[in-house]
Amino acid sequence: MDSRLEIRDPIHGFIYREPYERDLIDTRVYQRLRNLRQLALAHLVYLGATHTRFDHSLGAFHIAGKLGKVLVESESERRLIRLAALLHDIGHGPFSHVAEPILRAHSPKQLLEGKEESKIHELISADIILKNTELKEYLSDREREQIVGLLDGSFGHSYLHELVSGPIDADKQDYLLRDSHFSGVKYGIYDQERLANTLCVYDDNDDFVIAISIDGLHALEQFVLAKYYMTTQVYRHKIRLITDNMIERAIRLGIEADGIKWLKSLYAYDGSDEYIQEYLQWHDERLMTEILREKNTHAEDIFKRLRERRLFKCIFEADQNDFHDPWVRDFVFAGANDFHRSLESMIAKHFGFDANYVIAYTVTFASATKTESEIPVLHRTKTTVFHDESALFKSVDQKIREQHFHIYAPVEYRGDERKKSRQFREFKMVILQMIQKLANPQQELHLDRESES
Amino acid sequence: MRATDFLLCVIDASGGAIRGRTLLQKRAFFVSELTGIDAGLRFDAHYYGPYSTTVESAATQLQNLGFIQESNTGFGSVSGGFEVRRYDYSLTEDGVRLLVPLRGTREHQEIRNAISRMASAGDPNYVELSIAAKAYFLIKRKGGGMSVLELQKQAEKYNWSISPKSIEHAVNFLLSVDLASKA
Repeated sequence: MDSRLEIRDPIHGFIYREPYERDLIDTRVYQRLRNLRQLALAHLVYLGATHTRFDHSLGAFHIAGKLGKVLVESESERRLIRLAALLHDIGHGPFSHVAEPILRAHSPKQLLEGKEESKIHELISADIILKNTELKEYLSDREREQIVGLLDGSFGHSYLHELVSGPIDADKQDYLLRDSHFSGVKYGIYDQERLANTLCVYDDNDDFVIAISIDGLHALEQFVLAKYYMTTQVYRHKIRLITDNMIERAIRLGIEADGIKWLKSLYAYDGSDEYIQEYLQWHDERLMTEILREKNTHAEDIFKRLRERRLFKCIFEADQNDFHDPWVRDFVFAGANDFHRSLESMIAKHFGFDANYVIAYTVTFASATKTESEIPVLHRTKTTVFHDESALFKSVDQKIREQHFHIYAPVEYRGDERKKSRQFREFKMVILQMIQKLANPQQELHLDRESES
Repeated sequence: MRATDFLLCVIDASGGAIRGRTLLQKRAFFVSELTGIDAGLRFDAHYYGPYSTTVESAATQLQNLGFIQESNTGFGSVSGGFEVRRYDYSLTEDGVRLLVPLRGTREHQEIRNAISRMASAGDPNYVELSIAAKAYFLIKRKGGGMSVLELQKQAEKYNWSISPKSIEHAVNFLLSVDLASKA
């Protein structure tokens, strides 16, 4: 085997590439992924979490190749799956997922019609795959269309799509192991070999889907647990949520309050070739540097805080079970932006913060386990679904569905832990009353000393 | 109207419960078409017919917040050994409380009327409603009348298999609820 075609990877060992895959990886458009950190600013909590979309995409490509060997008969489809995994994150921009809500807010509505908020980078990925001149050198028009179709589910049988975008796809199979390794935690570890070898293709009413043999049930449980632990411990770590929200707020303020024109252009995706060309020039460090050059703006101030790790602090946290009144619960978790903005203003006014720097945020895990529950489990004589087979999954599923509500602000808790807890309780007490007031405007709001202490 | 409120009203107007995920999707589809209420549902062509991920996530959200509950019932195995399950949705006490102010709204009344029209048109089960939804989706996408043969051909493009007889039933339903006119 030609050693020039191998890459040594800390997660999977040697990753072998065909010559055309190596050439594709060596393009500028692909090498840009080296400058996008996989977990944005998670290294402010987990020191080692500086790995990139490039590393992860190669890992997903490697796993897709392994899965293809076991599950896909056609050589051309195996090739497509590897390429789709290789290119699945090509459309990510600076700080990856963090800026997706801003893209949605500032891009033409008709362009995003039918696309979920978290999927805009997939539209950009499709544009890059279809239009980028460097990629055109190595992939035919037909191949590029098929790759896009595989990624969005419009080409081929369902199981092919599921291998690159499904509940147990190559993407997740890589990022759990990789994020766990680089974060220095052991939560994302599962038996990847066993999982891959027990997956199979199942004919579900003329549609072919990914299923698992009963022998792999525990490997799948381990995978689901790994995802749950990584979600609660790393992806939804309190500091990580704060840094993500600070980035998003800084960009939003940079566009809406500071009027930074280049920033607005960067987040106004219009599907044009010019936009894509410009978009490809940006990565994490460039965005950080350029925003820090915009002196005396909100965006600069927040990015400076991020660079110096002077982070906002959590001043309120509650989950859905803390709100017994259904109207309040509905208001907090389904009331969306209007409620968030009103509450942010109220808090800012009461405590003397700049309202731009108060961030109300709903943390939801709803989508995390939804689709695993329906994975067919094949026995010798019958077929069931995963959530009926796994007692463990039910409790994880229940827990992961809980929604949380956080508020962040630029405060400094002072004194020992007891005093800090007291300050937090004071914030919480007052904010709870504000939430009640917003949900039930006819009620009187009393923010007296007694209730605050 | 928020998608979660829309769905609560659809379940309420259906007697407080809907049997099956497919029925929930298709009722939401036809109520949305009959009332013209904008709840941002966005139906796309899926294997099982017009399908909205917004309906799915709104149902999950309502379930997570304790406003509806999902229960499932097994119906034994079919050929190939797959166990068939049906997922039913019903309003909880908190869901009913949340509906109190919604019940006085124009949208709630329109949703009730739409469900009544569907009931008067034969109250199709999920399979019939699913075929009617596919047929309507194709006719609307073409922007006009289609023959049974044309409908069948178009359906194949989406991997939808519809027999001429079931198309006839579907068209009768669409005519009854005024969503189609005879060519």
